[in-house]
Amino acid sequence: MIDVQNLTKIYSGETVLNIPSLSIGGGESFGLVGNNGAGKTTFFRLVLDLIRSDSGWVQSNSIPVARDDSWKAYTGSYLDEGFLIEFLTPEEYFEFICKVKGLSDGDLNDFYNEFFDFFSQEVLGKKKYIRDLSRGNQKKVGIAAALMGDPEVLILDEPFNGLDPTTQIRLKMLLKDLRKQRDVTMLISSHDLNHVAEVCDRIVILDKGLIVRDIIRTDDTLKELEDYFYTQISTSARKE
Amino acid sequence: MFIWFIRHQLKQALRSSIWQKNVATNIILGFILLLLFMDLLFVGLMIDKILNQLYPDRNPVTVFNGIILYYLLGDLVIRFFMQQLSGFSFEAYLHLPIKKSAIVHYAALKTLLSIFNILPYFVFLPFAFKVIPSVYSTGMAWTWLVSMISLTLANNFFTAWLKRQLGSKPKIVGFVALAVALLIVLDYFKVLSLSTFSGTIFDYITQHAMIVLVPVALLIASYLNYYLFLRRRLYPEELRLLKDKKVDVLSTMHYFKRLGLIGDMITLEIKLLWRNKRTKTFLMLFPIFVLYGLIFYTQPTYKDSFGFLIFVGFFMTGGMMLGYLNYTFGWESSYFDAILTNNIDFNRYLRVKYIIAQVLCTICYIVTIPYVFFGWDILLVNTALYLYNMGFLAFVLLYMATFNKKRMDLSRNSAFNYQGIGASNWLAVLPGFLLPILLALPFRLAGYPKAGFLFLGILGMAGLVFSRSIIKMILRNLEKRKYIMADGFRQKG
Repeated sequence: MIDVQNLTKIYSGETVLNIPSLSIGGGESFGLVGNNGAGKTTFFRLVLDLIRSDSGWVQSNSIPVARDDSWKAYTGSYLDEGFLIEFLTPEEYFEFICKVKGLSDGDLNDFYNEFFDFFSQEVLGKKKYIRDLSRGNQKKVGIAAALMGDPEVLILDEPFNGLDPTTQIRLKMLLKDLRKQRDVTMLISSHDLNHVAEVCDRIVILDKGLIVRDIIRTDDTLKELEDYFYTQISTSARKE
Repeated sequence: MFIWFIRHQLKQALRSSIWQKNVATNIILGFILLLLFMDLLFVGLMIDKILNQLYPDRNPVTVFNGIILYYLLGDLVIRFFMQQLSGFSFEAYLHLPIKKSAIVHYAALKTLLSIFNILPYFVFLPFAFKVIPSVYSTGMAWTWLVSMISLTLANNFFTAWLKRQLGSKPKIVGFVALAVALLIVLDYFKVLSLSTFSGTIFDYITQHAMIVLVPVALLIASYLNYYLFLRRRLYPEELRLLKDKKVDVLSTMHYFKRLGLIGDMITLEIKLLWRNKRTKTFLMLFPIFVLYGLIFYTQPTYKDSFGFLIFVGFFMTGGMMLGYLNYTFGWESSYFDAILTNNIDFNRYLRVKYIIAQVLCTICYIVTIPYVFFGWDILLVNTALYLYNMGFLAFVLLYMATFNKKRMDLSRNSAFNYQGIGASNWLAVLPGFLLPILLALPFRLAGYPKAGFLFLGILGMAGLVFSRSIIKMILRNLEKRKYIMADGFRQKG
């Protein structure tokens, strides 16, 4: 579904991302972990054609994302508040996204029914603009909007970060459901190894822009991930 | 402690991207400021000659004192609308072991660092030491100066307090506004004379040194008032200038729904303009744009001037459009990523912007039709410029707007707010102000000024006819520049 070839991104002389080759199959749930500055957000921005790569390309459904916009019709994404229109109310925002995605008013109703619990009575009907919501509630709005209209590809950057415990659990259940029932290709990044190990079938560790591990999930995956980051500490301690 | 605050603030100012990146804006602003200083200094140095010329047989000090009350009232109004309250974010200090009073004194005193507290001295100082001693004595000049400084600074703290009241007790602002309006009306209908009143008070103060204590007491009172106000509510959420607003009526506006997606995008733009402070203050300029003609058309020298006719015609019918299109992408900087990742087709996106520009232009044109009262030529020129604005200038501006790449903070007033304005925004103003005059000038020189107007109109109509292909050209530039734009829009601060 998502194919990457020779992808690099350079910021002021420093290569922040370098992926010679990566292929994410249709229906795969793909997790991305790494420390700050590892290139996770840069990678997602390249997949979403928000920044220009310095070399290589990303293809979605065999079409280069930078050349053709057709991927937008089946891709839902939420990276940060830049995806929200802050002076709208959540309802106005959902209605707008609904129109943009070419959905009907009936679809919008289904959406509200499906996500009613997810918002835990904090978001809808509050007569507040998005800019006046708390960070966590803003994130709920963004994630829900990304899920609207049953996208085939879903891209979420640190979706669990900043959510309350109940919503974290709800989101995990939701994502697992999507994996089971529909053929959704998911790209999810997280700092929390537990969450990724639970939700994703395949986990890639990025370090300083390079893929250092590519793991298919087994029962030992969480241990393997933790071990990797432990060795990071010991190697850096040895260097000092 | 103050030293630390000042150090941090200096760093904040020097490290802000406005200083570091916006060289063009800073140069232009510096130049305008220099001109303003020189202009005021000139007035200050020449004030005795000016007063002598206007009122040869009257005491210049009394004449000047007669306008001081008007000045103070005007100062109050201008400060209220334009002076930005200090951006001292003391949240970062509240939890540290620092005396609250120190924080509050600093926050209150920081309002003094405003250009409104500097400009008056360019006139006051020369007047005090050049004119007053020639009538009275140098000692009296000091008395006068001290009372003037006290009163302007009292104004400073009073308006700061008044602006803060907007958030908690807007009624107080209403009362003050009413009182000021009442004074002006009473003065206008000569029920009471502010000028005689003003002349009498300030002449008296000048001659009785002890009375200077009254203005000084006023200054101390207004400072304490502001200080205590801040001291009592040092919680950031209580100090916000405007409270969280309830959702406005626009949320129930479904008028454009019938237009489909384009209608939804138009509604979005309207909400953008209405719900953000910066864009809303821009919309409030509407009367200034359309009433502009009154200044010029009432004076024969300007009314018959070819250049001024074109300029005023452009400004009235196209000024609003220029303001809108110049920053159109910058205003959307906070959610530009949303536009890029959602399935929004750029052609449609640009057309929405063009439609809104056309609507703005058309409203301004219709509202200014009554100027035909000053002559048919005016309607002819305005119609030509209206077509020129819609069919030519709009595309130039839309093209220039694709060079927007600075994140704009829409939560602050637009007056004297140059945050997020770059070189391309300044450049974009030129085709508006100069180009129509240059384009029509050859016809005027050849002796057919009306043909010049006609030419502008035809140019505009040609643009309207080919609007679709022109928008496609702009679209190509937008496609090319979108990464640079999005990257710039993501840079905060």
